[in-house]
Amino acid sequence: MDAALIALIVLWWALITYAVLGGADFGAGVWDFFAVGRLADRQRNLINHALGPVWEANHVWLIFLIVGLFSVFPSAFSTLSIALFFPFTLALLGIVLRGAAFIYRYYAVETTGRFARSWGRVFSVSSVLTPFFLGASAAAVASGKLLLPNGMADATYFVSWISPFVLTIGAMAVSLCATIAAVYLTVEARDTEHDRELAESYRLKALIAGAITATLGALGLVLSSVESPILWQGMLVRAWPVVIVTMIIGLATAITLYTRHYNTARVLIIAEVAFMLGAWGLAQYPYIIPINYTIGNSANAPNVITAILIGLACGMVIVIPSLYYLFSVFKLPYPAPEAQRSANE
Amino acid sequence: MSNLLAARAQMGTSLAFHIIFSALGVGIPLLLCIVEGLALRTKNPVWMMLTRRWARAAAILFAIGAVSGTILSFELGLLWPTYTKFAGAVIGLPFMLEGFAFFTEAIFLGLYLYGWDRLSPRAHWLCSFPIWISGLASAWFIVSANAWMNTPTGFVMKHGTIVDINPLQAIFNPSTPYETVHMILACYVATGFAVAATYALAILRGKRGEYYRKGLMVGMLMAVIATPLQIISGDFNARYLADYQPIKFAAMEGVTHTEQGAALKIGGLADPNTGQIHYAIEIPKGLSLLAYLNPDATIKGLEQVPRQDRPNALFVHSSFDGMVASGLFGLLVALLFWGLYWFKKRTIPENRLLLRGIVLAGPLAFLAIELGWMVTELGRQPWVIYGYLRTKDAVTTAPLLNVSFLVFSLVYILLSAALIWLLLQIAHRPLPQVKVVGEGYQVIEPTIADAEEAGI
Repeated sequence: MDAALIALIVLWWALITYAVLGGADFGAGVWDFFAVGRLADRQRNLINHALGPVWEANHVWLIFLIVGLFSVFPSAFSTLSIALFFPFTLALLGIVLRGAAFIYRYYAVETTGRFARSWGRVFSVSSVLTPFFLGASAAAVASGKLLLPNGMADATYFVSWISPFVLTIGAMAVSLCATIAAVYLTVEARDTEHDRELAESYRLKALIAGAITATLGALGLVLSSVESPILWQGMLVRAWPVVIVTMIIGLATAITLYTRHYNTARVLIIAEVAFMLGAWGLAQYPYIIPINYTIGNSANAPNVITAILIGLACGMVIVIPSLYYLFSVFKLPYPAPEAQRSANE
Repeated sequence: MSNLLAARAQMGTSLAFHIIFSALGVGIPLLLCIVEGLALRTKNPVWMMLTRRWARAAAILFAIGAVSGTILSFELGLLWPTYTKFAGAVIGLPFMLEGFAFFTEAIFLGLYLYGWDRLSPRAHWLCSFPIWISGLASAWFIVSANAWMNTPTGFVMKHGTIVDINPLQAIFNPSTPYETVHMILACYVATGFAVAATYALAILRGKRGEYYRKGLMVGMLMAVIATPLQIISGDFNARYLADYQPIKFAAMEGVTHTEQGAALKIGGLADPNTGQIHYAIEIPKGLSLLAYLNPDATIKGLEQVPRQDRPNALFVHSSFDGMVASGLFGLLVALLFWGLYWFKKRTIPENRLLLRGIVLAGPLAFLAIELGWMVTELGRQPWVIYGYLRTKDAVTTAPLLNVSFLVFSLVYILLSAALIWLLLQIAHRPLPQVKVVGEGYQVIEPTIADAEEAGI
């Protein structure tokens, strides 16, 4: 296996991690948008506590993806930046406003004042828009129609990303983020807030969002057969077993949620995302941007990729245990060394 | 506005915005580490009050630093796709490593800022170490990539394609040691003066007490250590530039013709077309003496390269002078402060003029960073990768860049206004109540009701 393929697999793994961690943070913002009525304040409080310690670290996976693509496949990165100029710019605005708005709301001196409420709105709206544009960008790449027929990138070639398939996948990205977040929030409402009512409300939300995701996913699959023949061919030839497993896991997630086995549901939804994105990766292999950029013709020089892989290995040795420590202190049931449970639990 | 100008304006605005937060992101964690360490060691609650206050401000500043840094990583591609194709191939590695440093910083920041009740006092303090170390590493990696743009090495250009790439040689290009040290010291200088200026202002407004005195001392301590080192580093940089980036150096110092025994020109305005400086104070042979320790040394002039390859000397020279002047002002203030401190038998000087000087040194230290950044960036023009890729050839083909510039400018204005408002609100809150309990501290943040009772 050559260095470029190993690097691509690492990047794909980072994409999955970003989806299950960063995606959930966007999803929490989606639920913040729908937080109305009697439970609204408790919901916002839960979302604040769930995101506070981890959202910045989760966000770094995106930076990691960008610099990874930039240094392993520089020509493909350059082309994507031109072709997806508009959706990327919109997603970027969303990312920036989401992060800033969250922190402004969190640290507002008056939690119910005008300042906090306005930024809360910005937080929730940008949390809906960002995954939509990121999902749409991914779908535009997968569709195989991103570039002009001569293989050049053009930012104004709008047909490449305004199509039923692309818009469906964009919407599915939003509902998938919402589903992941709802599952996590169910667990956290039960375990850290000890709020059964809140947990029940997120369980219902997870089931609804999950059903919407499944519907949009099925629609996307059907549309891909017409609109993105390369992806469809890849599904039929290589990725079909993974697609079937994805469907089974999706069903199992719904069942565990329904029967209130929340911890299992949390593991299953992570597996669901991993298999879904894995199916996309397998179906699109060996293209980076179908049909003009492949792993072979767009990878950086092998010695440079080897150097990057060594750098990656060194970096991961530091980052992975640190991440485990972060999550064990704030999210996992097993407390880390030197951690103490706070008095109010 | 042409697409090129709009793209440069957007990139420049983004960098000018982000650099403030990245400087604080390097400097504040070290201060937090020091004051929290003192709090645990001395059991003096004032140190813990400072720690808590700064941590709250840091949480907000770092989040804005993270999102504004994200803008830059996207903009490299969105505005300069041709640059990314070239740079990604050669200098991608430090960007990647910077990503890991940012990762480590974000992880431990999460633990640090939200883990007060969940970690033991010692574990909490230990979490501050990876933050300042990775902040330092981030700055080093990202500035090494910028250094490479000034003196690109580690590859061979053969018939328009890049071959024989050596990523380590690219990272350790000739400019790296000079530029990285200068930027990192600038972060400490600026953070030190920013903190000192905050407390000097409070003391000027009549606030008294150990909390304000200690805050002022810690800020001034960082400033007095970092500023002289920064001036020495600046001298090394200038002498290095004279040899390795002579055109930038000529624009900084207003040298048009290559000359022996060149004069040092302070102030004045450069003619943007010729690079000639008018109305400057001239010190005969001063430049040759400073650059080569030899009054008759030869300094290369702008005329070495054709006119279309020269930077705008007006901006470069004036920015350079402004940076040096701000730096020397900071040095003067820091030395006066500590001189008076020792002279008055270890009491904090409360001379109002000196305190006003400290208040002024805060913003000037950030101005020095902005101007220094302009010297290095504008001094490299018209190239983005010196000698290989011109800025005008790197810009994207995407349309509506002026709209994009407008939208991002509005976002920056919105974020800054909200940030300033929020920080002022936080600064006006009553101080947290801190008690020593066992190995650590018990901290009660005042609620809004308490604040109203206190008449705020």
